[in-house]
Amino acid sequence: MIDATVVELSRMQFALTALYHFLFVPLTLGMTVMLAAMETVYFITGKPIYKEMTQFWGKLFGINFAIGVATGLTMEFEFGTNWSMYSHFVGDVFGTPLAIEGLMAFFLESTFVGLMFFGWDRLSRPAHLAVTYLVALGSNLSALWILVANGFMQDPVGAHFDPDTMRMEFSSFTDLVFSEDAQAKFVHTSIAGFVCAAMFIMGISAYYLLRRQHREFAARSFRMAALVGLVASLAVITLGDALGRADYLLQAPKIAAMEGIWETTKPPYEPWKIVALPDDAAQRDVFSFGLPYVLTPLVTHSFDKPIPGILALENDVKPRIVRGIGAVLALHAYATTKDKAALAAFRQNENDMGYGLLAQRFAPDQDLAKITEADLPKVLDLTARETIPNVFVEFWSFRIMVAFGFAFLAVFAFGAYYSLKNQLERHPFLLRLTTWSIPLPVLATEFGWITAENGRQPWTVFGWLPTFQSASSHALGYMLFSLTGFALLYSSFIAAELYLMFKFARLGPQGRPGHTPTQPGPALAGAPGYADKPWQ
Amino acid sequence: MKTLIRFLALAGVLALALLLAVVAGDYGPWYFAWLVGTTMIILIAAAGAVLLEAQASASERDVDF
Repeated sequence: MIDATVVELSRMQFALTALYHFLFVPLTLGMTVMLAAMETVYFITGKPIYKEMTQFWGKLFGINFAIGVATGLTMEFEFGTNWSMYSHFVGDVFGTPLAIEGLMAFFLESTFVGLMFFGWDRLSRPAHLAVTYLVALGSNLSALWILVANGFMQDPVGAHFDPDTMRMEFSSFTDLVFSEDAQAKFVHTSIAGFVCAAMFIMGISAYYLLRRQHREFAARSFRMAALVGLVASLAVITLGDALGRADYLLQAPKIAAMEGIWETTKPPYEPWKIVALPDDAAQRDVFSFGLPYVLTPLVTHSFDKPIPGILALENDVKPRIVRGIGAVLALHAYATTKDKAALAAFRQNENDMGYGLLAQRFAPDQDLAKITEADLPKVLDLTARETIPNVFVEFWSFRIMVAFGFAFLAVFAFGAYYSLKNQLERHPFLLRLTTWSIPLPVLATEFGWITAENGRQPWTVFGWLPTFQSASSHALGYMLFSLTGFALLYSSFIAAELYLMFKFARLGPQGRPGHTPTQPGPALAGAPGYADKPWQ
Repeated sequence: MKTLIRFLALAGVLALALLLAVVAGDYGPWYFAWLVGTTMIILIAAAGAVLLEAQASASERDVDF
């Protein structure tokens, strides 16, 4: 018997470690690109202030990178310790991108990070610039492979199930790497990282401008970050739509939960719900308010295609559950007897095997063979309902992410506009808003991750392996102990990160507050908005 | 000789970029979009910084004159 509490604790532990780890990842992805841009300007203009910018922001990147790596290490082991069934089932496929990710992170990325930090006086300018670009490429390639692995969990292409080894095996590495989901997810996540880094740099620069410290340094950093943020936030919204389109085509329950669609939509009028209070138990909204004529084109990119509702999806999945039960029973028979007829019976319904595994949770004694004619309707109802992710969580995590995304676009647009006009110091409200917005993009990526992962439930591998069947069979005490340990350890990592970030950000580029660069670029004292007098 | 080597190296980079563009464009349009988009983002940021230098220089000239 599988202990549901152990499974839930395993989920909680992975969610906790993943969300903690993901506090650091987006900043790393974006900061490397920002550093590449700053060093490019240093390379082109030869102005020392851009070297100083690369080194200072590089220092803050280094703090984030080190703690990010530390939090990521444990997750790789968690697959083996807490998700051994999952690791056995998809290890052949999932292990490959995970191993490449490790190689990228620890060999390519880490090696060049070392060269970037310690190579300023040892490498020529072109060589150092190349190293910084390789750090940017390495960090994003590292993310690419973990997202390829995640793409497989969302849309398992490039693999097939082998009934002899009882696991999924590779069919096509190319299909895995170029899967629609992996592609859309990588670009969306990576560019979201650029938004995080842009807001981080903009926010700290705004803090300096408000305090009239390091103004030459801050004005340049703010300008570059605002432009990166503006383009990146536009891209992240567009790419989010691409990812939503992939979900619409590949994961109907996720999109239905994300948009809170209980009944199949009636295009083109169907409103897009701005706010709603979905009641998962009653399978309806307590209330909702939306914009008419928006949902259909937003999700389907057409005006006439209906979107299947949750109730219809639950009804439609029942024949797949019946076939899945047949496939699992045939697989058991084949595993015991190696009978060709059993194999043929399995082959007939193998694509629905996952639904049979899902039904096992609701079978008497978790044994599909014990389901009687009388039990079947109840098992089908419960399993069908299980195929829908938590609507409340999905609906609101998606909306919070989207709302943040549009808010960032506005902040970056105003920031870029006033920076280009050299009027930043005339708008202290914008500077304060930017400073207070520093953590928000990271928070938005967390909600994005919750949208992606909660929406995949109840599967670890969509349509093939239920989460319920994926966990290791640990004792309850072990799970509680390790969960508490992880929470304490990771919280201390966060505390260390925040302490170091605040400390070095306050100290500023030369390690002391209020420093004015000894060799600045052209002084901005005469430029509008940067004159050495109160707000203009 | 040095110029020839530099020319060949740049030609090699160009061929690699074209190959990457063809393969990525065919099989991974979003990957290709990321490559082009990230390059563009870096260039826009760099252009913004260079513009700031130009604005600052112009401002200094205005003060001088």
